Amino acid sequence: MTVLSRADQRLTPDIVQSVSFPSTRLGRRGLDEDHVRVFCKQVELELVRLLNERTSLQEEVRRLRTRVLGGDNDGGGPGYRREDAHVQAVGILSKAQLTADRYVADAQEYSRKLAEDARRRRDEVLAEAHALAAHVLEEAHERGNQAAQAALVEASAGGSPARGELEAELAYLRTYCDVYRTHLRAYLEALLRNVDQWENAERTAATDMPGRPSAALSRAAALPPLTGP
Amino acid sequence: MDPGRLRDSFARVAMHGDAVALFFYSDLFLRHPETRDMFPVSMAAQRDRLINALGRIVAEAGRLEELAPFLQVLGRDHRKFGALADHYAPVGESLLATLAHFSGEDWTPDLAAEWTAAYELVAQVMTDAAAHDARRNPAYWDATVLSHELRSFDIAVIRVATVQPLPYRPGQSVAVETALQPRLWRYYSMANAPREDSTIDFHVRMIDGGAVSMALTRGLEAGSWLRLGAPVGNLTFDAKPGRNVLLIGGSTGLAPVKAIAEQLSEMAEPPRTHLFMGARTEEGLYDLPALEKLAAGAPWLRVTACVSDQPDYAGQRGDLADVVARSGPWNGYDAYLAGSTAMTDAVASRLASLGIPDTQIHVEDFGWSNP
Repeated sequence: MTVLSRADQRLTPDIVQSVSFPSTRLGRRGLDEDHVRVFCKQVELELVRLLNERTSLQEEVRRLRTRVLGGDNDGGGPGYRREDAHVQAVGILSKAQLTADRYVADAQEYSRKLAEDARRRRDEVLAEAHALAAHVLEEAHERGNQAAQAALVEASAGGSPARGELEAELAYLRTYCDVYRTHLRAYLEALLRNVDQWENAERTAATDMPGRPSAALSRAAALPPLTGP
Repeated sequence: MDPGRLRDSFARVAMHGDAVALFFYSDLFLRHPETRDMFPVSMAAQRDRLINALGRIVAEAGRLEELAPFLQVLGRDHRKFGALADHYAPVGESLLATLAHFSGEDWTPDLAAEWTAAYELVAQVMTDAAAHDARRNPAYWDATVLSHELRSFDIAVIRVATVQPLPYRPGQSVAVETALQPRLWRYYSMANAPREDSTIDFHVRMIDGGAVSMALTRGLEAGSWLRLGAPVGNLTFDAKPGRNVLLIGGSTGLAPVKAIAEQLSEMAEPPRTHLFMGARTEEGLYDLPALEKLAAGAPWLRVTACVSDQPDYAGQRGDLADVVARSGPWNGYDAYLAGSTAMTDAVASRLASLGIPDTQIHVEDFGWSNP
């Protein structure tokens, strides 16, 4: 038997669906009238309750709607609405600030990476230049020695050791200078080529975008490392 | 005032993390838009500073005798940002609004009164200190750049002249602001003893991605203007009869110890002094000629330069800690250290292991730079 025994218990669709009424006593047809009447009373109470709740919810919706749309003062009062708007504004400004913070942080990170790369590249270029300079001097020295050795042998064959030593020294210096001059010429030619490239780049850029000569500079080829004495 | 209650309340609010300071500054800027210009574009570091300062104030609330010196420094320090007594009420208003917002149900008139009283006390101590300071010092010192020398690709030596005299003790630092990076202040040490002509030298090393250091090394030129805060720092010479002096500077950490060396050179009888300067490569010994000149006419002063990362360097090679240790013994010396934290830590612990008492090792303390 599922008819409600307590008036305060809420009626649910499940209960309505599964309700069963006891049959009448022997000799009469149909359902027990008392039980049906009790049940109907409960349905009625439930409907009243639902209608009341619905009305108060509608009232609440109306009140909230006027508040959101900024209508006449009802319930909360003007102070409360302004407070809400202020908190919303704080939220918007905070989001904007976080965006600005991120842009600054990104830019800083980018500049840090650029500076790091430039520093590393600079160290590499310097190390390369040092190595190259050492190599040039080494080569000049070696070939100078060879020339000196040859001069010495030649002079000794001629029977004059003192003269041979002088000639050896002369041959060493002459060869050393030759080798050094060759490298220096190659370096200077490379530099001149770079200046030409720079000039060309500037000319091209000037026709590309006349208002921005600085862009041309960034296009110019990098100068080779200085490997002088 | 109930410090325990304030601490509990702050702990609950602080659980919301960065959102708290974010709300505070947005609230302040909305109510008083004119205050926005007192801050840099990016507020991330500023928010951390606010929460740290609040945390410290709340932690020490109730022990005013310990808290007062911190608040006084904070009050004086804020003068250079343009903070006036009138700003304290709006800040208090926004602070209360923030606490109320994040306290939710816990926020009662009682708790609000508790916080209001605490803030009024803090604001009183800060504004008193600022007013006291204002009777003797300007809010900041304007300085014009006389010369800007790029000594290596990442180190500049800058000479400025202040419009008003800026009294300081050798070894101290000032916060520096450049118009190239407004509202960003970084601390730099004066690299000379005070001069009659009010000129000051700064040694600046470019930090990759460091907005201010990049502007100072690469953007600044003669004629530029800087704004300087009040001198701070405790790495100052403590004259003790009969004691020798050991000055150790790593890279631009040379600046404060060079200022001390100049101070010693002005004494009638300078103490026996050994100055060590360290760098990664020879190029980093950016001020060696000036040091050698200082030592040339001074039998009391010895200068040693060393390089850590350049095997073909002809002079002393090695980390400062190693070079200093093998040049000892240092009994009878008071040591003054400045440079990166890694360098000062290494040297200080080495000196300690050589039996030099802590009290005789003075290390540049950056505690004041982070309020």
